[in-house]
Formats: sequence, structure tokens, C-alpha cells
Amino acid sequence: MAAAAPAAAPAAAAAPAPTVPAPQVPRGQVDLVDFVDWSGVECLNQDSSHTVVNALKQGYRDDEGLYLASDSDEQLLIYIPFMQVVKLHSALFKGPEEEGPKTIKLFSNKEHMGFSNVSDYPPSDSLNLSSNHLVENKLVQLKYVKFQNVRSLTIFVDNNQSGSDVSKIQKIALYGTTVDTTNMKDLKKIEEH
Amino acid sequence: MICVDNSEWMRNCDYPPSRFLAQADAVNLVCGVKTESNPENTVGLMAMAGKDVRVLVAPTSDVVKILFCMHGLEVEGEANLTAAIQVAQLALKHRQNKNQHQRIVVFVGSPVRDEKNVLEEIGKKLKRNNVSLDVVDFGESDDRKPEKLEALVAAVNSGGNSHIIHVPPGKTALSDVLISSPIITGEDEGSASAAAASGASRFEFGVDPELALVLRLSVEDERARQEAAAKKDAEESSKAETKGESSTSDTGTVMAEAEIASNTSLEDMKCKLKDEIDLLRKAQEMLLEVEENSGKDTGSETANAADCEMSDGASDDMDLTLALQLSIQKGKTGAQSSKVFEDQSSVTSIIDSVRSEA
Repeated sequence: MAAAAPAAAPAAAAAPAPTVPAPQVPRGQVDLVDFVDWSGVECLNQDSSHTVVNALKQGYRDDEGLYLASDSDEQLLIYIPFMQVVKLHSALFKGPEEEGPKTIKLFSNKEHMGFSNVSDYPPSDSLNLSSNHLVENKLVQLKYVKFQNVRSLTIFVDNNQSGSDVSKIQKIALYGTTVDTTNMKDLKKIEEH
Repeated sequence: MICVDNSEWMRNCDYPPSRFLAQADAVNLVCGVKTESNPENTVGLMAMAGKDVRVLVAPTSDVVKILFCMHGLEVEGEANLTAAIQVAQLALKHRQNKNQHQRIVVFVGSPVRDEKNVLEEIGKKLKRNNVSLDVVDFGESDDRKPEKLEALVAAVNSGGNSHIIHVPPGKTALSDVLISSPIITGEDEGSASAAAASGASRFEFGVDPELALVLRLSVEDERARQEAAAKKDAEESSKAETKGESSTSDTGTVMAEAEIASNTSLEDMKCKLKDEIDLLRKAQEMLLEVEENSGKDTGSETANAADCEMSDGASDDMDLTLALQLSIQKGKTGAQSSKVFEDQSSVTSIIDSVRSEA
């Protein structure tokens, strides 16, 4: 498929009935999953049988049956450090219509936050997802200027679509570029279902 | 983070020697095990009762500081469990090494005044913040206390990281019951290593257990070498006997012959023996010094162990002085080497007998 313009994925026109369209990696951006420092990834309030790895790691996140679920209540706090400094461009969240995340706050370069201090700082960006985003693989544009120098990202899931006690996320994908090298020839185009 | 109950309820003596002292012993055990299992572990201490819930020692890897604090702690007031857990959580939040897993160990000896749902709320909060909780339920027991504490631990528990143990009053020490419990054995370390760690720390109380191990090894080494030297002596004497046609009873002539035949080797052996004796003596002295320090400390078991060691040391010491004197004598009077040899064989036989006793 030709690399389409960033953001909106094409509607399911050519395909039969409701297949989810593959997300197009925005031009000039890379999937940052390769730059995640896995030893430092943490998630507060995750259900021990449905951990954050299910939503982030290559392979796990594409499996429909594996998802990240919250435990005591619907909030989640995910901390993702990167192996090098990156710029974030856009993000993709995938989850069930009911329990998928709704309000998401992103904090850049804040280490080891807890639920108590999420309201202490203004977020670098605040996202309001609709069920379209979750189901149709719609990329969410981030405030690029705020994410120019990201060492670590903290994702705070405030509530979910239906307001249920458990939030579920099937996939989190982050797109951007690394600061050191932006070799256009190395861009990988990832086609996913 | 260890929360101790220093309320008035701890004066009771249904756990020998008293609830408070049994708890102190248990705290000592937990500290020791945690710091020994991983050098990066830190332990903190806080008091639940008194005027206020307060942090006595911020998380540190220095066990001595914690023991010192426990020693100086006063029994007063009423324990406030919910406040204590919240303060402990806060203390853990501000730990220096953010990569450390957070755990609270609570000793609950007084009755629990808070309601079950309040405790469950607290438990949930702990779970959200990835803190695990271990509860030691002892002391006062009304009908609802175990149930409430079970509910608390169940609320915190996420994949078996939190435990609760109920200890009824009786003769067995609190720390003995704890050793076999999952609080000490934990997720990955076996009870053997924990027992070994606690055993080692009890043997050489107040001394670095690694040093204790080294001392023990060096003493054993010396003993082994002495054994080898003694065996050589015995071999020499037996060889001498076969050389001379007379029987073993006539030691005088045999010894003389042996002496003439292998004078130089004997000299060497005697020198070696003297060196070994010196080394052994030094090791024993160090050991005795250490036990003197440990002998003053708590626990009748440590005192007993120290006593046994001292008696052995004393008897060895006498033999050693005897041996030293003999070897010095030998240096002075070369002509009387036969007599010395005789004495030396008796010395070695004494050492053999002592070793068989020990």
C-alpha cells in the first residue's frame, strides 16, 4: 500500500464489511517499540495476569486475546523509559469499546510518578479518546512540540469509555523519531491487522 | 518497612520472655534475613504506638542501627494501625533506590480498633501503589481481629506477594514460628538459606557473619594441618618401631633410634608444628575475643553456644601452651631431643583426644 498521509487511516472501503484497516505509520516516523527500555517499564494498578507487556511488546500487543487490565479501580499508571532520547509524534491505542481508555494524560520525563502526584504537574498532553480511536486504529496526534526530548513517558489512564471498574487496553503503539539519527532510509513500514 | 507495636498491650508475658521482647527478637530476625538475602535490600523501622506514629529509622542497610533503636524503644500508648500503614507507605515512597520493591511488615499485638472496610480500603491503596504487606498477628486476640487482618492482607495481595501469620501464645518463640513462615522464606529463598543465615548470625552475634565463616574455616584448616602433622609423627614413630626389633613398650631405645635415623625431618616437623600452634593460638584468641563480646548479648542460646566454645578453647589453650613450652624447651636443649620427642608424642596424643571430644 502506498504510504498515505499521516493520521487518519483510510475507511474500510475496499475490504469486505467491517475489517479494521491497518494503521499506516506516519511518514518520517518509526514505531518506537524498539527503543523501549524493557527493564524499566512499570505499571501501577495492573492486574497481575494482564500486565503492561501485553499491550506494549511486539507480538503480544497484536494478539487479540492479550490485554492490559487494571486491578483495584479503573486507573492505570504506565511508565515507559526509552533507551535513547526520542521525539514523539503520534500514538495509537487499541482496546475494547466499553472498557478501553477514555481520558489519557501523558507526562514526559517524569520519573516514578504515583497516583497521588498525577494532579501535581500539568500533563505534557491530554488525550480524549473516542471508541473510534480504539477500534479503528486511528492514530492520535500528539503535541509534537512538547515531546521533543523524551527520555521517559508516563501514561496515566484516568477513566474508561463506559466507566466500568476495569480498564482494558489491547495495544499501545508510539510513533516518532529518535533524536540522534533520523535516517529516512531505515524507516520501517509496519503493516498490522 | 517494619512497623512494631510498642503499645501497653505488649507488657504481657504470654509470649516468653514478654511480648515486647519476643517481638524485638522477631524484628532482629527479619532484619537479618532481609539484609543478608540481597545486599541492596534496605530495612526501616517505625513505632505504631506512643504519642504519635513515628518513623524511627529510615530505610537503611545497617542492621545495627535498627537493633539499637529497638533496644531503646519504650512501651507506651495505643497502636494506630491505619495511620502506621499510611506513614509506612509514605516512607517507602521516598526511598532512595526507586527500583526497590516496596514491602511493609506489621507486627499487630494489640486489638484492632478499625473497621474491616477501612482496612480493606487501605489494602486497596497499597495494592494500587504496588506495595506488598506481611502481617504478624500475635498478642491480643478477640474474635474479629484475625478476620479483619485476613481481609486487609487479601485486599493487598496481588499474586501471592503478601502474607499473614497468626501466632498463638505459647512456649515457642515468636521468631522460631516466623522462620518457617512465608514471611521469612519469602518468594524465592528457601528456608534452608534463611535458617543458615539466622544460625550464622546467632553464632557470632554482632560480628559480620562473613568474618565468622572465615574464622571458622581458618580454625578448621589449622586443625586439619595439625592432624596431618600428628599423623606424620605417628607414622614416624611407627616406622621407628619397625626399624628397631624391640616392641612398642620399649619407647626409650626406639625413640633414640628414630631420632638418630631421621633427625632433620623431625626438626622440620617440630618447627612446622610450632608455627601451626602459633597460628592456631592466634585464631583461638580471636575467637575467644569475639565470644566475649557476644556472650554479653541477649538470648540464652548464644550464651550457651559461647560457653561451649569457651570450654573447648580453654582446653585447647592449655594443650597449646604445653606444646609451646615443650618446643621452646627443645630449642634450648638439643641433647634432650629424645625426651622432647617422647613428650611431643604425648602432646599429640592429648591433642588427638581433645579433638575426639570436640
